[in-house]
Amino acid sequence: MRKWIALILVMTVLVLTGCSNEDQIALDQSNEPVANSQSSEGNDKSMVIAVNAEIISLDPHNISDTLSRSATNTMYESLLEHNNSMELEECLAERYEISEDGLEYTFYIRQGIEFHDGTALNAEAVKYNFDRVTDEEKNLRRRRNFLQVESTEVIDEYVLKIYLKAPFAPMLDRVASLSIISPKALEEYGDRGIITNPVGTGPYVYKEWVTGDRLVVIKNQNYWRSGPQIETLTIKPILENGARIAMLQTGEADFIYPMPTEQVNIVANDANIEVIEGMSTIARFTFINTSKDFYSDVRVRQAMNYAIDKEAYTNVVRSGYSTPLSSHVPASIKYHVPQPLYEYNLEKAKQLMAEAGYPDGFKTHIWAPNDTENMRGMEFVSQQLAQIGIEAEVIPMEEGTLSNSIYSAQTPEESTVHMWYVSWSAFDFDGATNSLFHSRNIPPTAPNVSYYRNPVADELIDLGSTEVNSIKRAGIYSELQEIIWEDAPWLFLGSDVLLSAKRTTTEGISVGPGGAINSREASTSK
Amino acid sequence: MRGYIVKRLLNMIPIMFVVSIVIFLFIHMIPGDPARLLAGHQATFEEVELLKEQMGLNNSYIVQYKDFMVGMLTGNWGNSLKTGLPVGDMVIPRMKPTLILAIFTIVWSVISGIAIGIISAINRGKWIDYVVMIGASSGISLPLFWLGLMLMQIFSVQLGWFPTTGIDGLKSYVLPSITLGAGITAMIARYTRSSMIEILKENYIRTSRAKGLSEFIVVNRHALRNSLIDVITIVGLQFGFLLAGSVLVETVFAIPGLGRLLIDSILFRDYTVVQTVLLIFTFQFLIINLIVDVLYGVFNPKIKYE
Repeated sequence: MRKWIALILVMTVLVLTGCSNEDQIALDQSNEPVANSQSSEGNDKSMVIAVNAEIISLDPHNISDTLSRSATNTMYESLLEHNNSMELEECLAERYEISEDGLEYTFYIRQGIEFHDGTALNAEAVKYNFDRVTDEEKNLRRRRNFLQVESTEVIDEYVLKIYLKAPFAPMLDRVASLSIISPKALEEYGDRGIITNPVGTGPYVYKEWVTGDRLVVIKNQNYWRSGPQIETLTIKPILENGARIAMLQTGEADFIYPMPTEQVNIVANDANIEVIEGMSTIARFTFINTSKDFYSDVRVRQAMNYAIDKEAYTNVVRSGYSTPLSSHVPASIKYHVPQPLYEYNLEKAKQLMAEAGYPDGFKTHIWAPNDTENMRGMEFVSQQLAQIGIEAEVIPMEEGTLSNSIYSAQTPEESTVHMWYVSWSAFDFDGATNSLFHSRNIPPTAPNVSYYRNPVADELIDLGSTEVNSIKRAGIYSELQEIIWEDAPWLFLGSDVLLSAKRTTTEGISVGPGGAINSREASTSK
Repeated sequence: MRGYIVKRLLNMIPIMFVVSIVIFLFIHMIPGDPARLLAGHQATFEEVELLKEQMGLNNSYIVQYKDFMVGMLTGNWGNSLKTGLPVGDMVIPRMKPTLILAIFTIVWSVISGIAIGIISAINRGKWIDYVVMIGASSGISLPLFWLGLMLMQIFSVQLGWFPTTGIDGLKSYVLPSITLGAGITAMIARYTRSSMIEILKENYIRTSRAKGLSEFIVVNRHALRNSLIDVITIVGLQFGFLLAGSVLVETVFAIPGLGRLLIDSILFRDYTVVQTVLLIFTFQFLIINLIVDVLYGVFNPKIKYE
């Protein structure tokens, strides 16, 4: 009997520890303006954004994923910014000048702006940021955007000059990608400490980040322009699509991104929910490894493009939320020129295959990550190619294994990839072209996985990236798009339509074409 | 008894050592390069190479293993390759939700599992037995993902009784715990039932009935206590798996727990975090095994430990 009592005691202790931990959590929560369904009905005006992945880091100079950018954008700003139509606008810089030779950029910084810690924003502070991100020792993720920067110089309190090694046309886009961090905070917390102590000039001030659970930011009371109409904003990673939608249905979330394409019907009848469509900079395509025998023939690659029913792709793989790719860059990218589509024409495709010497097709394989959406895309491609006799085995791979298999090849001969179903997103034309098509960027250097090597294209890519005159640049890129389209080193598939969804009470939150969430003017009528 | 526990604890040291080697080799031998994954597809070759150097991935396995073990023993667990945050800061806050979920789940599923098992056993062959056992079989075979989303739709979206996701207070754990415990309840019910049925045939049960004890005492004091030996084994095993296996439930209900952290970290080849989390799981498993063995002695005085 004594032992029974002991057992009951143990059980009780276990339950009680569970409970007391519980109470602890409940207590912690009640002291904080953390948004949940109960508190959001009051007047504290808090909002929750549910997203599909976890924030990796809050150091804006050392991130390469879009979600971390969405998160840091709540607290940080840059000299310039892209609006939702992908046009550049002044932000922390009031205006700028570019020298004739394209080597000197002068930025006039807006006066009277303070970082969240009270430090003044001036040319010195901006220079500090440029010096940090271009530091080779630190090797921060964003350094790759500023390889062309020779040096920066403070001209006067609010004027900064950037000197380039060579003219670099996308420079302004790259400047827009550099968030400005308080130099005082960087000094104080160091390169690692800044991750959990973000200090910027943005519309929200950092409150807390519980990795894997939530990022909470509060309204910046000293914001320099029109800002949010709410007190607290919480970003929560909700990986499961069904759960993210459920949160929107109950009002626990005010905005979700992405809205899963296949579940739009579920919320279509809910009067409290609105689904928002937007164009994107995301291109979906399949690399065709041109260094492999059968793929070295341009007729084969064109035939494959003719064999793909683009409309079916949109409907089957993207539930209707995609537009056919009409160039290697999506229509949202500046300098995009639509090319005549490879229409769905099996006769033509078969004829080209016969001319190339493969009337009966051949055996090959296609790779992609093993998640549902990539699997569906890859299977679709395989099934379409089967119509012209190409037997493409579908090989799903876990992401790490996949990238290892691609980048471990030191030469084109060593490469084992035949086709890779993938997506790409970039801000500017050069970013959406250079590393994918220039011959110096074949693996392991960079992801030109088509092993596309066309000297004319190489020259145009280089010319385009240094031509500062935008009319001449447009001419160069127009020619380049034609050449790449004609050479067909890809299966050109589609460009995503971005889907997000919100409660009808939610205003001022949007998703830009790059997939970053802008919550600067968030407000709610709930 | 105390000597036995001390001996078992000391035994854990060589076990943990061997396991640490296995974990280290396992995580380093699966293909995939954390530097490449962290840098992203847009990175240049030079950037990735430099990153590898900075992460210490170019060192020999022996040096890397030594660094890992020295760090573990001195309490300096290093920084996550993925986030750059100290591993301790990432792992420790994740332990609480997982532990709470596991304890809640095990408590309710053990109690209800045993109750169902007893009811079933004493009503063997009657309709109530069939109903309960069909229920139990379904409990084992329900996919967690589906069950979780269904519960969420009914109790959160339609009825509004519980929050859909997160860990905001006690209520948040109800649906995840039901989801996670359904299968375990069913399994415990089945084990309790079959073990009870066997025991109820024993001579000493007939004796206790013959000497006029009430059926309640016969079942709950004499029969149950013996059948608990089997049940404890199952519970111990299940509890170990619960801690590691709550990953699906943690994903569906967005609970920031250890299981999800482990999966994320494996996908990202975040070596430092994976090694630490796996060692924690191993340690938990060993501790739970020890507790189970000690409980055997509690329930069956014939089992003595020297």
